[in-house]
Amino acid sequence: MSTPLRLSSLSRCFQGVVPSVIATSDVQGIPNVAYLSQVYFVDERHVALSRQFFNKTQRNLDENPFACVEILDPLTFEAYRLRLKFLRSEKSGPLFDTMAMRIDAIASHTGMTGIFRLIAADIFEVQSLEKVDGFLTASPADGSAQGPSLDGLRSEVRGLQWVSDRINRAQDLESLLNAVLEALDEYFKFSHTIVLVHDESSDRLVTMASRGYGRSGVGAEVPIGQGLIGTVARERRPLLLTTLEGDLRYGRAIRREAATLSAELGTGAEIPLPGLPDAQSVLAIPLAIGNRLVGVLAAEDRDPMRFGEWHEAYLEIIGNQIALGIDRMLDLPADDAPEPAAVLRAPAAPPVPVPVTKRKTLTYYRNDDAVFVDGEYLIRNVPARILWKLLGESQRTGRTEFSNREVRLDAALGLPPVKDNFESRLILLRHRLRDKCPEVQIIPTGRGRFALRTGATIEMIER
Amino acid sequence: MGDPHINRCLDGGMSILLGSVDAKGRPSCCRGIALTSGDACASVTVYVSMAVSQETIANIATTRRMAVVASHPIDHCSIQLKGTARTARLAREDEQPLVRSRLEQFGAILDTIGIPRSLTSCIAYWPAFAIDLDVDEIYEQTPGPRAGTRLR
Repeated sequence: MSTPLRLSSLSRCFQGVVPSVIATSDVQGIPNVAYLSQVYFVDERHVALSRQFFNKTQRNLDENPFACVEILDPLTFEAYRLRLKFLRSEKSGPLFDTMAMRIDAIASHTGMTGIFRLIAADIFEVQSLEKVDGFLTASPADGSAQGPSLDGLRSEVRGLQWVSDRINRAQDLESLLNAVLEALDEYFKFSHTIVLVHDESSDRLVTMASRGYGRSGVGAEVPIGQGLIGTVARERRPLLLTTLEGDLRYGRAIRREAATLSAELGTGAEIPLPGLPDAQSVLAIPLAIGNRLVGVLAAEDRDPMRFGEWHEAYLEIIGNQIALGIDRMLDLPADDAPEPAAVLRAPAAPPVPVPVTKRKTLTYYRNDDAVFVDGEYLIRNVPARILWKLLGESQRTGRTEFSNREVRLDAALGLPPVKDNFESRLILLRHRLRDKCPEVQIIPTGRGRFALRTGATIEMIER
Repeated sequence: MGDPHINRCLDGGMSILLGSVDAKGRPSCCRGIALTSGDACASVTVYVSMAVSQETIANIATTRRMAVVASHPIDHCSIQLKGTARTARLAREDEQPLVRSRLEQFGAILDTIGIPRSLTSCIAYWPAFAIDLDVDEIYEQTPGPRAGTRLR
């Protein structure tokens, strides 16, 4: 005797990898058929559909509540048919918020904010569910394996233990972030990851660490609310997109149509995704303590089925640990006490041997609050001011050793009195110097202390 | 001749959907394989695998009303045809190459967006029904604010 199908056993079909189909009918008995980008699983008896435009499907449902939906398993390509009855539209609440965030993220990424948006979450009762026998001539793959096996669970628990230990032992922000990304790669095979930290003064996310990309991208900024990652930050909710390219094509199709209809729509330019140019799936987790945003952790992959709901739940646990770890680092007193044994510290880069005859010209543009090196942009805002202070002090007094405490107390830097993100700004400055001006280095020398090393004659110009 | 936007639905590689309704107003849907027309979409023939279309055939035998969507998987350009089924017949052997070719073209396009041919090559396409449809109305179906606009 075969086991009755359960909606919850078809979770892959609800990831939107293959568009679903919906048929409705008006009261005159004229059918309408359309694609659905995604069917949302609510519970064993209910699904939800997103209402983005008031279209024929919605008009039909207002007249005749019955619908037929066909969904496809993206791994096995088996088709399933659902007989539905429309119950109600929700315009707020947790389900609406979850569905709206996904659409908002795609809209923001394709420059369609406010035009491509969720109007309502339409809730349907599932009256019957059946497999469409005969849709395939043969079974292309065994897609039954899903979710963690017991071995997998053991590995994940070990991974969690490892991440937790690394976070606990980390002595500085850079080693904490690098250790976390390394653990995600080693234990979960998340090979392309990025951590962005919230800079409250500019209300932007600043990339602090990455793994699996050609360039580190450290220093890349994302405004809160913009694009996929910015939306996760604004909403403080995780986002799992499993059909990124398809979703973006869908968004672009709408933008193209909208632009054709009206030249006054003023749609903005598309924001390039940081990371893989051909990513098919993205999982982004807000790093928050209470409702206070600390940053965002994002992973992406070329496999559209790489991340599942289970990964999302697991990464949220890790995200909470990372948020606490980052927050602890940002709260660390800049004392000069000897550091305990067996702590993790970002390894100091060996000084780059540079002929001392080399000359570098650094220019600080006061109006732009930015430093350029030999005419090329280096850094701006607070990290630029920190660099300018250190170089100036060094040239005036010959000092090369500094403590975090003395630098952060300098009112001219404009740091906020609490949660000043000093260490993250120092990491950013260190990375930018490594990339653009390796003749100047900032090297950690102990807890809350660092040294300025210069391998060239530095000319400072202020304009 | 005719509107190129409308005629594009007859190209290979399009995704074909069928909607029908029974005498009680309960809708049904299934996926089609090919769409052809000899008169610029005044009438069309839709090919659909027999295995998945028995309910659709039963519905159009009763109500004759049918909706057909043709959509391009890459750019989502889509139109919807609405009309009255004239006949539903077993597809002839000489129509099989066309149906197979359309499924292969569809699989080739899906392959470019990450859905491998190993999946699409397993879709049943034969034996097939050929449904001849007199087209009464054609609508824009591309996602966006113009979706639902009547084109003909």
